[in-house]
Formats: sequence, structure tokens, C-alpha cells
Amino acid sequence: MTKVKICGLMEEAHVKAAEGADAIGFVFAPSKRRVSVERANELAKYAPVDIEKIGVFVNASLEEIEKAVEMVPLTMVQLHGDEPDSLVEAIRVPVVQAFSIRSKQDVERLKNSVADYVLVDAPGTDHRGGSGNVFDWSLLEGGGIDASKLIVAGGLNPENVRSAIKQTRPFMVDVSSGVETHGRKDSSKIQKFIQQAKGDLMEQAIEKVGFFGKYGGQFVPETLMKAVKELEDAYTEAKQDPEFLEEYHHYLKEYVGREQPLTFAKRLTDAWGGPKVYLKREDLNHTGAHKINNALGQALLAMRMGKRKIVAETGAGQHGVATATVCALFDLECVIFMGEEDIKRQQLNVFRMKLLGARVESVTKGSSTLKDAVNEALRYWVTNVEDTHYLIGSALGPHPFPTMVRDFQSVIGKETRRQILEHEGRLPDVVLACIGGGSNAIGMFYPFLQDESVKLIGVEAAGEGADTERHAATMTKGTEGVLHGAFMKLLQDDAGQVQEAHSISAGLDYPGVGPEHAHLADIGRVEYKAITDEEALKAVITFSQLEGIIPALESAHAIAEAEKWAKQMAPDELLVICVSGRGDKDMATYAERLEGLT
Amino acid sequence: MKRLADLKKAGRKAFVTYIMAGDGGLERLSEQVKFLQNAGVTAIEIGIPFSDPVADGAIIEAAGNRALKEGVTLQKVLDELASWTFEVKVPLIVMTYLNPVVKFGIERFAKECKRAGISGTIIPDLPYEHRELVQGATQQEGIALIQLVTLTTTEERMEAILQEAEGFVYAVTVTGITGARDHLAEEVREFMKRVRSKSPVPVYAGFGISKVQHVDMLRGDVDGFIVGSAIVQAFHDDKIDELLPLIDAVAAPSSV
Repeated sequence: MTKVKICGLMEEAHVKAAEGADAIGFVFAPSKRRVSVERANELAKYAPVDIEKIGVFVNASLEEIEKAVEMVPLTMVQLHGDEPDSLVEAIRVPVVQAFSIRSKQDVERLKNSVADYVLVDAPGTDHRGGSGNVFDWSLLEGGGIDASKLIVAGGLNPENVRSAIKQTRPFMVDVSSGVETHGRKDSSKIQKFIQQAKGDLMEQAIEKVGFFGKYGGQFVPETLMKAVKELEDAYTEAKQDPEFLEEYHHYLKEYVGREQPLTFAKRLTDAWGGPKVYLKREDLNHTGAHKINNALGQALLAMRMGKRKIVAETGAGQHGVATATVCALFDLECVIFMGEEDIKRQQLNVFRMKLLGARVESVTKGSSTLKDAVNEALRYWVTNVEDTHYLIGSALGPHPFPTMVRDFQSVIGKETRRQILEHEGRLPDVVLACIGGGSNAIGMFYPFLQDESVKLIGVEAAGEGADTERHAATMTKGTEGVLHGAFMKLLQDDAGQVQEAHSISAGLDYPGVGPEHAHLADIGRVEYKAITDEEALKAVITFSQLEGIIPALESAHAIAEAEKWAKQMAPDELLVICVSGRGDKDMATYAERLEGLT
Repeated sequence: MKRLADLKKAGRKAFVTYIMAGDGGLERLSEQVKFLQNAGVTAIEIGIPFSDPVADGAIIEAAGNRALKEGVTLQKVLDELASWTFEVKVPLIVMTYLNPVVKFGIERFAKECKRAGISGTIIPDLPYEHRELVQGATQQEGIALIQLVTLTTTEERMEAILQEAEGFVYAVTVTGITGARDHLAEEVREFMKRVRSKSPVPVYAGFGISKVQHVDMLRGDVDGFIVGSAIVQAFHDDKIDELLPLIDAVAAPSSV
């Protein structure tokens, strides 16, 4: 799944047309497509937040580059001159170094580049057409070029991009003149190029909004359809509004405390004797877990829609606390539904929610856990839909929830991807995250989906064992079905009755996994594994004592699975674990289950 | 389902009841149906229990849980209906959440409904947008896929839904879940008028209807009423006779 960059943008309309691309480029070097830093700053406001903004320079000074990075702001820098390695290394965002390949010597220079990515520009465009080769790829063959670092440019257009990708499988394709008409960018060509480059994936998305493959949809009672459609429209609009995104990122930085470090876990690395282990520290977020990334985004959206009442469900209480927190911050009315069983397990969080001014409603139906809390929250929403927003906490529910929650959580994966490139100059080999409904996992995985070299592992709860009656291993044991508004994977019996899930971790204790994960499992992009209560508890001890970080029970599942992978991996490989939350909330369980620990 | 249109032509009001199949044991279902048809109801919705009935209030949820404890499944209900030898004089409609149908197999569901003598189906979590998932199969077997409209349904959407309405339209009287209410909002009358003026099929009001005064309030603006929770609770409490006046208030030949 090759990424797409549209380069040399000068007009707002063309920035908007490039919305479906992964990166856009502004040329600061002398060129007919040159823009000022100020102009680029203006244009960048029209681009989606998750798109890479790349500045193109030729022999500029570090000062000039840094100023542009700061002011636009740029997320990457592309160098086309004879910049020395010292300059490449001094730039704090990922760097693309461009090379024109004419000889084997050029290939050597390219191989020795210290940049994060190398861009191969066809020498002129004289190889267009003819053999169908975009440029003379044979020069690179056998050169040991890492395709995950490679960006292909020069001579691409909507007609040849598909075959170029097929032939070279690069990290990214870069186009400029190929999407122009009479020397000016052409919106329809830009869109056509992106569509061609992304192939079926994009076509599918355009045709079936709200579905991931066959999963997803809006399976809710008619009373909710208006609200769901309004939310869909409001979110579509908000995610393109630079002011909304700016506000969201402002609070992530100033209130949540992002960005969170990607910590190198030295003692864990030594103990496991395998790959270098890095930890994405969602435990450091305000309120103690990743949940607030999403709660914040949705609360801002609710206010934008004029809704000042919030209902939410919670399992472990982390989402409830995050929701109660943002409701306090923005003076919103807040009702949280929580299963009676979970209330018992997570008393500290119940008190935190109350202290924050939320009303906590105990749910005594069914298994009195997360599934039943979602049912009650949905019923409450049906009844109060006109003035209330349902702030769902995982990548579940009717469209647009799974997409929206993923987008708000993607900050995890975006930071991680950039940070690992900064630390190691390359992408990780394995990334693991725990999965209940799937929000921290999808947020971590989504920015890596197109990096085919990166293995993505979702870790669900096997409870007392996936082969016992008491587990929450939906991906391992579940089947397709409809629950809580979406077609996804479920634990259910032969008659289609949803079964109760069991896990020591309240946050993983849900009998379904969201639609995007179900799709990623089907297409084989993400592998799903299950970890038992006992394995998770063991990982809590190891992790606490080796790294001085007491993880949440949920995160401990990812850690336990990571150890299994680490044992099979080589010391020059890289492994990343998403530490989705800290263990404060689980201290009572730890004290009880780990009694006698010395 | 034609008789519903005929009833409307004759200027009579329909009384549709909902019962939870298997509440109190599946063997009670035939007695309940016999009782209701003798009492003069127009049609009967046979509820299929589901573990996560998010459109339902406490009464129907509790009834569903009791039925699930009895081991009731969609298959068992359809087998039971197919085995009846007494004359079923009113249309039977299966009301079920989508997941049991998906698990059962959608085409198989339509075929088995036909075999069991079912005239229509209501799937509250299958919105208009996703109706194709089921509609092809139900149309094939001549089973009406009954649509719901609610107080929150936008004008444009309502027109689209009504255009394709089959059997009757289920017009929801409350913004909320099923279950008895003391009062219905005044705006409900306006809503019913709107729906009725545009609907090619009879319009029945449901959710929260439990009292003669609800019927009196809406009588002029709907073609019939759907009563669920009140009937379910009455059967559970063995007090179904207490609901006969409500049925009569709607469906007795003298009531117009």
C-alpha cells in the first residue's frame, strides 16, 4: 500500500483536491512552483491534519529550513541539492534526500544517505512511455535499496502510476507535473492520480462509506439515524476545518500533555535477549490512559454540534474518567453507565468520575460489564438524542464512530512512527497493542497500515484460557455478527445470542471487536493473539520491576505477548509496545492477586 | 397483509399486539395467539428474544431474558409456528433484532418464515439504508419488511421510507425505547398526521401505547395501534383479561 505525495502545490483548491493523499509538498527552492513560507502556512490550513507536509529545499541553510519547519509547520523536509550529512542529521523532522540516478555511482551515494527516506528522481522524463517503464529501474536492481525508505518521482501521471507501483513497490510515489494542465495543477488529475495509486482501497471507500470491507455500517434503531447522520456530517466537516484540528491539538498538548515519549526499554531488552524494545507511553497521558485522546476530540465535536450533554459507557473506568474529565473542563453535563461488576472492580475510578462531577449509573443487567453498559448508554441516547452526544469509548458502534475514534487515537501511531524514525532511522519490525473493542490498537496501527514491513499484532484477553468458557478472545473464537450498531466480530452462540466475555481486565472484557479490526484480520494485515489472565499478571510484575512502570492490566496483555515475539527475534530488530495505560486503577486487583510478592 | 388495507378502507382501526415468544415457555405461545385472535386483535407480532435489545425498555428486555433462559431460539419459534394445526386467523409478524437473523442465514430466515405462515417481519436495528441486506430475500418469499418512522425521522428520509413501505408503517410515538408511558407528547398527533398523509399503507402507532386515553388521543390520526409492553406484562402477570377493554376500544366493530 504505497503512499502518495502531491508536490508543488500553490493554490487552496489543489490542496483540498489532494485531501486523499498521504503527503503534500511545498517548493521553497527557485522554481515556477515556488511558494513563500507564509503562503505555505496559509495553504497548510486547508490540508487534513494527518497529511504529511513536506518542504522542498535546494542547498538552503539550516536556519532557513528550521524557520519553515516551525512556521508552516512542516512534518518532513525534502532536500534536492548537495546538502552535507551534517545538515541532514541536524534537521529535527524526518528528511527525504533526492537523487537523480544515472549511474551505479549514484546508487552508491543513495545507499549511503543518512536521510530517513530517499527520493529517486528519473533523470529527466525521457523514459516515459515506450517500454512502459517510468524510469530505468534496472540501475537500482541488486543495489540493496530498502523499499520501505524509497520514494519514486519523475514522469508519473494518473495513467502510469499503477504500473509504476506494481513494478517498484516503493514507500511513496511523488507527482507534480503529472497532475498539471498547461503548467498549472489540475484538481481532477490530482484526484484521479490518488485514486489510481490507491487502487481498490479508495474505490471501496468511496462506494461504501462507513464500511471496512464487509464490516461496519449503521445498524441502529430509526430514532438514532438522524443523530448518526448529523454526527457523520459534522465530523466530515470538522476534520477538514483547520480551526477544529488546531483546537484539538492545542488541548492534546496543553492539557493531555502530548506528545508522549517512545521510551527505549533497556532492561526489558536485555532480559528478553532479542530485539530493541520501545514503549509508547500512553500511560503518561492526563487521566492515565489513551482514552482521553478520543474523549477530547469527541467532546469538542459535540460542542461544535451544539450539544452540551454527554452520555458514555465505561468498562475499566478509564474512558469514564476521561469523559468526566473533559466534561468538567468544558462544563458539559455527563452521565456514565458502568456495569455493577466493573464498579466493584474499579472503585477508585468510580470515585474519580464522581469527584469530577459526573453521574455514574450502575448497570445490573446481563453480565453487568461493558457490553451491558453500552446497551444502557444506547438506550439513554435513544431517549435523549436531541440534546445529547454519545461519546463512545472504543472503535465500535455505528459509522462514523469507528472511523472517528480511530482518527482521534491515530495520534498514538503517528507520533510513534515519527519517533522510531528519529531514534532508529527506520521503521519497527513488530508493533503490539492490546485490544478490547480496539481503540488504542487501531490508533497505533492505522499510521503503519501501509508499511508492509511492519508486523502489527493485536492482543486480546484469553481470560482463563481461550478454550475455556471464560475468555474475551473474540478474534480467536468469535464469528461475524451485528452488535451495538456495527457488523463486526462477536462472541455469540449458534442462535446469535451474544455471550458474556471474561477477563481479569475490565477494559478488555467485551464480547466484540470493532469493524476495522475485523477487516484487518480478514485481509491478514494484522495478526491477533490472546493472552490469559495469568500471563498478563506475570507481565505486570516483570514490567514493573524491570522498567519501573506499573502497567494497566490491559496493556500487560500486549507486554506478555511481546515477550513471546521477542524470544523469536534478532538483536538488530525493533519491537514497539503500546503501553495504553498505567496500573493505578488496577492496584486493588494487583494487591489481591499478587499477594505474597516479595 | 392485504386485510390490513381492507380494514383501513372499511374505516376500522387495527389493533396489533406484540408478544415475546417463549416467555413462560414456548408451549404458551399457541394459547396466547388463540386468546388474542379470539379477543379481536388485527395482527400479532411474535417477538424473538435477543441478548442485547437496545430498542427495548425493561419489560420486554426482562421477558426476553426469561425466554432465553427457557432456551428459546429463532429456529424453535419458527418450528413451533409451523407445527400449528389450528386456524391462525390473523397475520403473524416476526419482530427480531438483526443478529439472530444474520446468524440464522437471511435467505433461510425468509424461507422458514414463509413455511411458518409468517406475513411480515420487523427488524428494529435494520435501518432503511441497509434494507437490501434482507429485502431481496423477504420479497422473494412474499414477506413484508415493515419499516419504522420516528419523531426524529427527517422529512426527506420519511418520504423515501414511505415510498417503499410494505404491509404497514410502524410510527413510533416516543423518542425513546419501548415501554408504557403515562402521557404522549402533543407533537405526536402532528407527526401521525404527516405520516398518514404521505403513506401508501396503513399507519400504526406504537411504543408506549398502554391506555384507552392514548387511543382516544390519536384515534383520528392513525389507522391502528401497536401494544407491546403492556400485553407482555399482562401475560406474565396472568392479568391479560384486564387488557380486553383496551383491545375493544380500538378493534370492536362499534369503535370507529
